[in-house]
Amino acid sequence: MALIKAIGLTKHYGQVKALEKLDVAVEPGIIGLVGANGAGKSTLLKILLGLVAPTAGRATVLGMDSVSETRAIRQVVGYMPEHDCLPPDMGATEFVTHMARISGLPRTAARERTAEVLRHVGLYEERYRQIGGYSTGMKQRVKLAQALVHDPKLLLLDEPTNGLDPAGRDEMLDLIKKTGTEFGIAVVVASHLLGEIEQVCTYLLAIDAGHLLRAAPISTFTARTPVLAVEVEEGADRLAAALVANGARAQFEGNRVLVAIESDALYDTVRDSVADLAVPLVRIQQERGRLEDLFRDAAPTAGSAK
Amino acid sequence: MTAQNPAPAGSIYDLGYRHYEGKRNGRLYAMWSLFTESLRGVWGFGRPMSAKAAPFILAGLSVLPAVIQLAFSSVIAQRVGSSGQPVQLLEYYDYFAGFYFLVFFFCVAQAPELVCRDQRYQVLPLYFTRSMGRIEYALARLGSLAVALFVVLLVPGVALFIGDVLMKPDAFKAIGDELPKALPTIPASALIALGLASLSLAISSFSPRRAYSAIGIVAYILLMEAIPAALYSIGQTSGSTWTDKLFLVSPITSLIGAAYWFFGKPLDPQEFSGSLTAEAYLAAAIVSIGVMTAVLVFRYRRIPA
Repeated sequence: MALIKAIGLTKHYGQVKALEKLDVAVEPGIIGLVGANGAGKSTLLKILLGLVAPTAGRATVLGMDSVSETRAIRQVVGYMPEHDCLPPDMGATEFVTHMARISGLPRTAARERTAEVLRHVGLYEERYRQIGGYSTGMKQRVKLAQALVHDPKLLLLDEPTNGLDPAGRDEMLDLIKKTGTEFGIAVVVASHLLGEIEQVCTYLLAIDAGHLLRAAPISTFTARTPVLAVEVEEGADRLAAALVANGARAQFEGNRVLVAIESDALYDTVRDSVADLAVPLVRIQQERGRLEDLFRDAAPTAGSAK
Repeated sequence: MTAQNPAPAGSIYDLGYRHYEGKRNGRLYAMWSLFTESLRGVWGFGRPMSAKAAPFILAGLSVLPAVIQLAFSSVIAQRVGSSGQPVQLLEYYDYFAGFYFLVFFFCVAQAPELVCRDQRYQVLPLYFTRSMGRIEYALARLGSLAVALFVVLLVPGVALFIGDVLMKPDAFKAIGDELPKALPTIPASALIALGLASLSLAISSFSPRRAYSAIGIVAYILLMEAIPAALYSIGQTSGSTWTDKLFLVSPITSLIGAAYWFFGKPLDPQEFSGSLTAEAYLAAAIVSIGVMTAVLVFRYRRIPA
């Protein structure tokens, strides 16, 4: 069964077209939802949660309709909003327990789950202190904990690394990865930072101005391409010319020379050319596709070497 | 999907993530949970000490007059009025009329506490993406404030009752005598609690800022009391007889009037101008509760999450 399915999903806010005829079906996993600010990521999440009704079309979550079966969906979905959503005058334990009970967990179960989940997200001694005194990183952990506490089947995270320092960002991404793999909970991560998506997700959903740009496993975006990048300190132009003279397809970009790998003999040609010209070599590596290409070009091609 | 992993090596206490297989309750349980949490919140339980100060001081103040009478009941009992009956300072039926402003302060302080926090700190989306509907949210909050106010209103009644019983030489006979007089305190308190709670929450829910909400409640009550009174006195001088009907929109006046109905007492002409009966005030109070609850529910149906 598809985790998330959208059929002609459209949402207009007055004149603003947040989503326009979105058709997509996604299987469980860690799904990255990327798009620039205002591309429609949050709108899509809100439709899936039943917080806003679509203007046209329909969406299903785990086979349940987002409009007619909202309550059933909410039992099995955890949501971490983008904005602050924690009352500062409560302790983390008290707040997360309360949220667990609102999700329908009996009192004892709510307490146990809260203790476990707070430990999983890495909050220990500080969990009895008031949330108002927490750092941004700790607040993000509490936000994740309240989304996890009722053991959802699907976790919707809206910009989970917002406002975190690099260390906190890595920890949050590790947590998300752990949730998706070890805990066996499907995750949708909305983000405008491609690097994060690349780090944790298995599947990518790219939307731009309300339209679906691309939906595919992340490996198809970041697979090795048949292009060798040779980085030198200087003389990239001379190296490229020498390679072309030797019959390779090469071009230079700043200090890098990109060569099409057509046969294993190419590696020897590159080695010999570098040695002959005595250019200071920094590294030789196979080029990988990058997610950025997705937004530069709707259908990224394998290489740009001529 | 990947299977659940065993505990990572080196952490013997970490059982790994465990799925929850137990019972999941529905909407009513969610409502009950919010209701109990709100009730704790009104009194500042589970919050810092500073959050307990306002409700307890204000509730204490509203009980104070009754407690003073209770404390001095033995002294008062010595004094016997000209009719041969012991003098009683405070009657059940006009305790609220005399000290409503103390309960009112409690409302102004604690109603914004219940509904403004969630808007200000944007907690609402967390509720509305769970098994909690918007109407359930509004009603659970309303219920908790009403119950808190009911307690604040009932305790002085109980204190008066104890005081009155202690004043009499025969306690058992006194209980029998006093109980019929005291019992209407329960329904009257319930009505007043609902009236004040629905009104103050409906107004509070329109602002995420506590201060604005508090000002809103005070402004609404003062204006609704002052404007009909002013129009009535103008009407008196110009000979209009219908202007006393305007008192029906005054929230405090109609609640006091409705309380008299429960005690079966005629309205005190010194406090109530015009020809309105206690029944009319009771009807006005019930209509006000209905309208204010509708406003509150309407607000939460529309509030963006």
